[in-house]
Amino acid sequence: MPPLRELQELVAAHLFGEEPDSVLAWIRADGIDPAARLGIYRNNLQQGFHKTLGLEYPVICRLVGTDYFRQLTRAFLEHHPSRSGDLHHVGAAFSSFLRRRFVDSEYLYLADVAALEWAYQECLLAEEVEPLDPGTLRNVPAQSHGMLRFSLRPSCRLVQSPFPVLRIWQVNQPESAAEEIIDLDSGPDFLLVFRRPGGAYFHRIDQDDFRLLAAFAAGSSLAEALDLIVASSPRFDLGAALRRCIEWAAFARIPSLHDTV
Amino acid sequence: MGSSATASKPALSPRSGERAAATGRSLGAGVGLRAQHHAEILSSRPALGWFEAHSENYFGPGGAHRECLLSIRAHYPVSLHGVGLSMGSIDPLDTQHLRQLQRLVDDVEPLFVSEHLSWGSAGGRHLNDLLPLPYTEEALRHMAARVREVQDVLGRQLLMENISSYLRFSCAEVPEWEFLTALAHESGCAILLDVNNVYVNAMNHGFDPRDYLDGIPRSVVREIHLAGHTVARMQERDVWIDTHSTPVCDAVWSLYAAAVQRFGPLPTLIEWDADIPAMATLQAEAARADSISGLSHAAAA
Repeated sequence: MPPLRELQELVAAHLFGEEPDSVLAWIRADGIDPAARLGIYRNNLQQGFHKTLGLEYPVICRLVGTDYFRQLTRAFLEHHPSRSGDLHHVGAAFSSFLRRRFVDSEYLYLADVAALEWAYQECLLAEEVEPLDPGTLRNVPAQSHGMLRFSLRPSCRLVQSPFPVLRIWQVNQPESAAEEIIDLDSGPDFLLVFRRPGGAYFHRIDQDDFRLLAAFAAGSSLAEALDLIVASSPRFDLGAALRRCIEWAAFARIPSLHDTV
Repeated sequence: MGSSATASKPALSPRSGERAAATGRSLGAGVGLRAQHHAEILSSRPALGWFEAHSENYFGPGGAHRECLLSIRAHYPVSLHGVGLSMGSIDPLDTQHLRQLQRLVDDVEPLFVSEHLSWGSAGGRHLNDLLPLPYTEEALRHMAARVREVQDVLGRQLLMENISSYLRFSCAEVPEWEFLTALAHESGCAILLDVNNVYVNAMNHGFDPRDYLDGIPRSVVREIHLAGHTVARMQERDVWIDTHSTPVCDAVWSLYAAAVQRFGPLPTLIEWDADIPAMATLQAEAARADSISGLSHAAAA
């Protein structure tokens, strides 16, 4: 009998289809082939993975059909096995997997739909953080405005795509009766995904608002974010954009500001 | 003894069922908590002793699921049952997973925290399943050290549950009940005895399930699980599969009665995780358990 570490690695390799035979000698037959016994666990592995991805990516499943979705989840499992005992993480790389698979094809939009579905899932489970109270901004001296660093609430996500992903998502919801042919050239979409009681929702926002939020999400200061946007949109109205972001409750509290109130 | 009125006054938590939770034994049967029942539980407060949540389903730091769990906890005792800590793996313990569990334990103040006598990852790859260990001295030393490590971090006793299995390793093993008993002895954990898993393994591996019960000391069992299974056909033989998708079968009810006789009435849980039925069906299963154990949800009040 090999040491426990080796035994576990041999079993896992067998279940992932890499070492078909080397572990079989260590399993009792008792009337059923060891390979068939391990087959029960391989089936559990593949079914569990498939089921989890189906719950996280119902729109992709509906778009490609159950049979092809099963092929996709098998291939994804080979390249991206679970790295956690918490199944909620298994689908994190599904969008990038689809992007590589469909990079030069007419199905590239699937990668962006998957990114939207993942953002939706992340939103549902994210930490609840109080939104920024705009009143606290009045305490910031004008000369310090440029140094302000807004951060997005954890329950907000940004998704952009050259494709009309929100419309695709909407018409592929279980309750949707729409039999709509969607023109894939009717994008782009710039989306803010956010959580409210009852679920996750979307705002379709304009490109400059999206770039502003993306810059903050990447850690830029207000001055840095503004420089980035006015370089291509000289008429960008920062004040109006900030008011919209605050209205969407996209910003988290800035602790140093709230502490001074 | 208490020298002042304040010191002698019992510290009662506002949470319902707290006294019963402290003793555990007087609780009527509970059921596994599933998301599709959250709203109904909160609106109609079914007459059940307690609920058990799969820990990993509530690891997300925010959102509706966690809020529901905490709301349900305000009205019922809740236990946390982990499926993902991969206790028996040689892979290092996932410290982030353990931190998330610890945070959930802090928030929920559960009746019990339990995990499985199993492994589920190798070389960093997770199978997200409960695989059997070889019941050897090496595995016992490893598992006992792992259980102690988790108990030290959580600052409380773990309950370890016997699993259903579909294979056994061809090495000199002790029977599963001896391994589980030795684990409890060496690590200080208690046992969550899954009576359906005992039955499934007895059928799959050819032993008498009463021998299993008789092999477990009376004092170490704290909780009992009941569930349904299915029987598949493989190479012209039956294989019992622990699916949690059907009612508890008559043979498992009989074995439960034997377990109650041996271990006394214990907090008992109905698990049903696939093809999940209406709450009324789960309540009927729980009531049947109560009729055998002699307990009822009223005892929790």
